[in-house]
Amino acid sequence: MWFLLMLVILLTNGMSSFGLKMIAAWGLPETVKYPYLTVWYASGLAAIALPMLWKGMRLGKIEVVWGALAGALSIGGQVAMAVALNRGVPGHVVFPIAIGGSIFVVALAGRLMFGERLSAPTAIGLALGFIAVILVGVS
Amino acid sequence: MGILLSFLGGLSFGLLGTALKAAERRKADAAGLVVSAYAWPALLMLVRTLLLKPGGHIPTKVFAIAVIFGVCAAVASLAFQVSIGFGKVTVGWLMMNLSAGVPAAVSVWVYREELTVMKVVALGLVLVSIVFLSWGQVIERRAAGRNPEGGA
Repeated sequence: MWFLLMLVILLTNGMSSFGLKMIAAWGLPETVKYPYLTVWYASGLAAIALPMLWKGMRLGKIEVVWGALAGALSIGGQVAMAVALNRGVPGHVVFPIAIGGSIFVVALAGRLMFGERLSAPTAIGLALGFIAVILVGVS
Repeated sequence: MGILLSFLGGLSFGLLGTALKAAERRKADAAGLVVSAYAWPALLMLVRTLLLKPGGHIPTKVFAIAVIFGVCAAVASLAFQVSIGFGKVTVGWLMMNLSAGVPAAVSVWVYREELTVMKVVALGLVLVSIVFLSWGQVIERRAAGRNPEGGA
C-alpha cells in the first residue's frame, strides 16, 4: 500500500504543475494563469468532494479548520515565493531555498513533534533526496 | 528581503506539511481535509479571476489541462494524507517534492530541453533517493512487525 501511494504521489503531484509550463510554451498571456488556477483548484475539489457527497459523507469542524489552515499556509508559501521572484531574486535561488527549507522544517517537526525515527537507509534517502530536490530546483 | 521571503516560503510550506500531519493525529478525515484545503484557494482564485479586466476568459485547451492537472494534484494530496496515516510525514513530504523530477524529465522529452550534467545528476539522485527510501520502508516495517509498539 505504501509503495503504491508513493508511486501515485510521484506521478500525480509531479505532473500537476506541468500545466503552467504548457501555458508558457503556448505563449498565452500571464493573466490566463488566474482562470487556469481557478479551474485547477475547482477540479481538484470536485474530484474529491463528489465521491464524498455520493457516499453521504460530510465535513466536520476539524476538517474545515485544519483544511483552512493548510490552504492559508499553501497560499502564504506561494505568495512569499512570487514576491521574492518579483523582487528580482532568480528562480534558481528562490525554489531551492523554499523547497529545501520546507523539507527541513517537516523533518524537524517529524522528529520533535511526532517522534519519527528514521532507519539508516531512510536517513540516507532523505539526505540524497534533499540534495536532489535542490539540484532539480537549480537546474 | 527577497532571500528572506524565500525562507518564509519554505517555512510556510514546511508548516503546511506539519499541519497536515497534526490534523491526521487529530483523526481528521483525509478526503475532507483535502476538500477543505482546496476550497479556500479555489475561492480566492475565483475572486482574483473575476477582478481581471477582460473578465477572465479561459481558452478551451487551457480549461482542459486545468481539469486534468487539478485532478492530479487532488489525488496526490489525498494519497499523501492517507500515507501519513501509517507512514512518516518526513518521507511523504520528501516524495511530494521529489516528484518535481517528473515534469523536469518530461520537459526534456516533450520540449527538447537541454539535458545538462546537473539535470542528469539531479534526476539520478531522485532515483537513488527513492531506492533508499523504499529500502528504509521495508526495514522499518520489518522492525515494526517485531516490535508493534515501536515506530512513528
